[in-house]
Amino acid sequence: MPPRGGRAAAAASSGSEDEEDEAGYSRSYFLAKEKEPSSSKKRARAAAGKLSDLNLVDEQVLRASLAEIPPKHEEEVEALTRSYKDQYRNWLFELRCGFGLLMYGFGSKKQLLEDFATTTLTDFTVIVINGYLPSINLKQVIVTIAEMFWDQAKSKRKRQPGTRSQLSQPFPSQSFDDIISFLKRQTSDDVDDRVCLLIHNIDGPALRDAESQQWLAQVSCCPQVHVVASIDHVNAPLLWDKKMVHTQYKWSWYHVPTFAPYKVECVFYPLILASGGHAQTTKTALVVLQSLTPNAQSVFRVLAEYQLANEKEEGMPVSSLYTKCRERFLVSSQVTLNSHLTEFKDHDLVKVRKHSDGQDCLRIPLVSDALEKLLQELA
Amino acid sequence: MAAPQGNAALTAANNIQPFFVLHKAAVAAASTVPSSRARRRLDASLPSSPNPKSAKRHRDVDEQDEEGPELYEKLRLEAFHRTWSKIQSTIDEVLRGINLKLFDQVLQWAQESFSAVRAVAKPCHAEVQQPYPLLTDVICSRIPTAFVLTKNAEFVDDITTFRDLAEHLQSNGCHLAKLSATELSVKHAVGGCFRSLLRQLVSDVPDVADVSALASWYCEAENYEQPIIVIIDDLEQCSGDVLGELVMMLSEWVIKVPIFFIMGIATTLDAPKKLLSSEVLQRLEPCKLTLGSPSDRMNALVEAILVKPCAGFCISHEVAMFLRNYFFRHDGTITSFISALKLACSKHFSMEPLSFLCMGALEEDCEEFWCDKFEALPQVIQKYAFGLPSCTSTNNSSSSGSDVVKGLSKLLKLQKDWSSVLLCLYEAGRHDKVQLLDIFCEAVNPDLQTQNTSDVDLFASKMNSENPSGVKSGSGKVFMAQVTNTIRYLPMETLLHVLEVWSTHFKGMSEINDKVKELQSTTIDAGSARTTKEKWTRRSTGNTGNATVPLNEKAAVLLHDVIRKYLVPVECLPFHEIFCFKNVGILQSALIGNPRRMVQLDLLKSQSHLKCSCCGRSGTAVSGSLHDTSIMCNLAQEYGDVINLHDWYISFEGIINSTHSKVKRKSYSSPSKKKSKSTPPEGQAMVQARFCRAVTEMQITGLLRMPSKRRPDLVQRITFGP
Repeated sequence: MPPRGGRAAAAASSGSEDEEDEAGYSRSYFLAKEKEPSSSKKRARAAAGKLSDLNLVDEQVLRASLAEIPPKHEEEVEALTRSYKDQYRNWLFELRCGFGLLMYGFGSKKQLLEDFATTTLTDFTVIVINGYLPSINLKQVIVTIAEMFWDQAKSKRKRQPGTRSQLSQPFPSQSFDDIISFLKRQTSDDVDDRVCLLIHNIDGPALRDAESQQWLAQVSCCPQVHVVASIDHVNAPLLWDKKMVHTQYKWSWYHVPTFAPYKVECVFYPLILASGGHAQTTKTALVVLQSLTPNAQSVFRVLAEYQLANEKEEGMPVSSLYTKCRERFLVSSQVTLNSHLTEFKDHDLVKVRKHSDGQDCLRIPLVSDALEKLLQELA
Repeated sequence: MAAPQGNAALTAANNIQPFFVLHKAAVAAASTVPSSRARRRLDASLPSSPNPKSAKRHRDVDEQDEEGPELYEKLRLEAFHRTWSKIQSTIDEVLRGINLKLFDQVLQWAQESFSAVRAVAKPCHAEVQQPYPLLTDVICSRIPTAFVLTKNAEFVDDITTFRDLAEHLQSNGCHLAKLSATELSVKHAVGGCFRSLLRQLVSDVPDVADVSALASWYCEAENYEQPIIVIIDDLEQCSGDVLGELVMMLSEWVIKVPIFFIMGIATTLDAPKKLLSSEVLQRLEPCKLTLGSPSDRMNALVEAILVKPCAGFCISHEVAMFLRNYFFRHDGTITSFISALKLACSKHFSMEPLSFLCMGALEEDCEEFWCDKFEALPQVIQKYAFGLPSCTSTNNSSSSGSDVVKGLSKLLKLQKDWSSVLLCLYEAGRHDKVQLLDIFCEAVNPDLQTQNTSDVDLFASKMNSENPSGVKSGSGKVFMAQVTNTIRYLPMETLLHVLEVWSTHFKGMSEINDKVKELQSTTIDAGSARTTKEKWTRRSTGNTGNATVPLNEKAAVLLHDVIRKYLVPVECLPFHEIFCFKNVGILQSALIGNPRRMVQLDLLKSQSHLKCSCCGRSGTAVSGSLHDTSIMCNLAQEYGDVINLHDWYISFEGIINSTHSKVKRKSYSSPSKKKSKSTPPEGQAMVQARFCRAVTEMQITGLLRMPSKRRPDLVQRITFGP
């Protein structure tokens, strides 16, 4: 860790550090803005270096290589991760004090946290949430916790007869608020186990919405539930308001850079050199077009040829497309054309825009090179 | 750290599951019931054990094994819980005490409104349950509404206030429901919001939530004689339409089912006017109430939890300054101040091995507690106690348990004197709007002690010099000088009052108390004759009006003497480490994580974390052996707010290849150097893969935004400078 202590002490005594930071931010922002070329230059620059100029390998090869990237600094990364082991007892202590642990810093913290959980949190039932996944059903998680508590409370009640042990309805069909209020009622008298929610990437794509965060915050302040979470995004703190931070999550921050590769976290992000360029879009467009009828393909071709011939225009008016297609006996009525167009729109092959003179016009969202290539391959 | 080989497949499967149970809690026997020996030892050292047999203790001292640390960790955890629950209950008590006046006002208002409603009509049960409203004139369908001005910029401080208010009203028999801003939102609409209201009042909510369900519940005998009060704690955040609709609906029923509103307003009293239509406003019968100001609350809290350390735990000067700055600069909410203090408390008990001795302050007989505890300690820890910096500085050669106990008792005694003096200072300073937190920060400054011993001569000059009120650095004795100055100009009546308060604060210190009494008696003699001259005295600077001035002067001199003798900051006392939390760095890093700055620093200075030998520390040039993402981040600093992917890639490739061929080449960033478009070399796939991963990692950390469709060659930089 960098010597924060000294910095902190300085901040505490002078207090001007923050402002300097702020000034630093804005200064470098404007410097960066200055570096940005004016719009004409920008175009020139973009033209100067295009991704298509690079000799890009095929996506499959790229993905294969991705799996075989030789690790750098393997030993150092491991040593760094190991160095946090000394802090495990302190982390546990703070968790028991009622705080939530929030880990941040560059590098995947998945292994670190799971190692912490397996070695140190033995007294807790640990439930891991993989927040980096694109979709997570939080209710399922909460139902799982509730069911576990319910079973434990039931076995306890068996020992003390006379109390009711019937659920009005099973947890999955109860509303979220009902389950939460059930969880809030559970104290150490009712259940033995404490649950620790281990949330990888609490700032992940599926948990980024306000509702998920509200739910997690409410769960985290239930008496038998503790939270250990990691964040990676630099703006993650913006997810929480003061109420969540101070009264629900009660974060205690830890800066634990690991420099471990984001292997699983990366999986759901597109590769910049694969799908960023238009090679990919041409390919997908081709796949879609090949699955359509020859007539539909021909309609697309008419549109594409028009667009190549009139690059400056905003697009092809629907009416002229219809006329052209009728001339070539591709469609017999507006209805058939519309059905083709719907198909194109659904697959993002065509975009509809309002022309400046008011009528709808169609445009294929591909640059000319890509469109030419597509037409060649379609033939 | 890698998972065992056999589990690899399982781990892979777990990685793509939304959630899974990593492991169940270990069998209770292993954790919650300690092994018999450990339990025996625990019993021996726990304060609650009925008869700590000394024989048992001695045996325990002999048996030093690896269970030791865990046992003491448990003790410290217990100490934390006891200490914090004491502090928390003190906080709750203080806040409730401050608000009590307002709560009573609210209650009175509720009762008056209820009798007013009942005076209009007292419908019988059948009438109440009729679906159509009672026929009365318009005036009567107005809902009594109390607007409570909270004066807080941040809502979070009001949560506890409204919770306490709800408890207070409930304990006085009112039916209570709370509606939050999230419920009063367009998403839930008036139906959802009414359902939530019903849920809080009626045990079995019917599927169709309507007012008749509420009416029939209200007709039950045990519910009928009290009003229903709905608290909306954060009015400004509510949807005006939904709230308006709710008000319109309930106002029709107010005679039958008396529902009153209490609405918290954070801004100004015209907030309801901005939010609600005039039609709705007509249906409300407003009553304005105001909460105490945040600074009052802060002063009361500081007094209760920091000045009179109610649970033994206290903080050092640096921490106090940090907390003060955190309060004033961060958000000014008491909630964040308290949570910062709690974090400090937990850090203290987590890091200081002897901190469990703090519990002694909560015991009736603290000396016995410390005696028991200290003798049970292993030699190593005992040695540690005498090795504390505060002990080594005082030349205390002997080192026995009784020394520690004496030291601790003395510390508590001196702390008590310190807090008495501080409160006296504040009592006088209040008349000049001095905040307790400011003066507290000065009084815990360990430099004070050294100043006190040297600045007797300085006293006079300081007293006469003009008070530099603009300076708020907190170092030195700005506020204390201000207080002593204030005393000199206090009018007689106020001075009398101040002296009276002093004598209660100095009750435990007979020597001082006598002096105060003496002052009081002389003041009373002179006071009656001088009251007419008060205003004149206030203006005079002390050289004229020599009949009254000596009294003020005497008080000032007394205060100065007391400060010099008794205002000993805790950090100057031996063994203070046991009670006092000092590590401001740790507190700050745990309290205010700064991912924006730290993640960038991680990447830009990755060598300092990885401590590798390959990447030059000093080098300004980016070395190819750095972490890939680190290279990319360093390169990104060269660009403006957009980065050309092509150029970026070329520079990245250059750096990577320069180390591969072990030739220091300049990165060839000229885009003119086009590769032949034939088959790409094998190594290039790897470079591209590494580039891709580095970009993705930067995307995950939020340092980049991906290219848009319109500008596929440019990514956007989001962060500028750590």
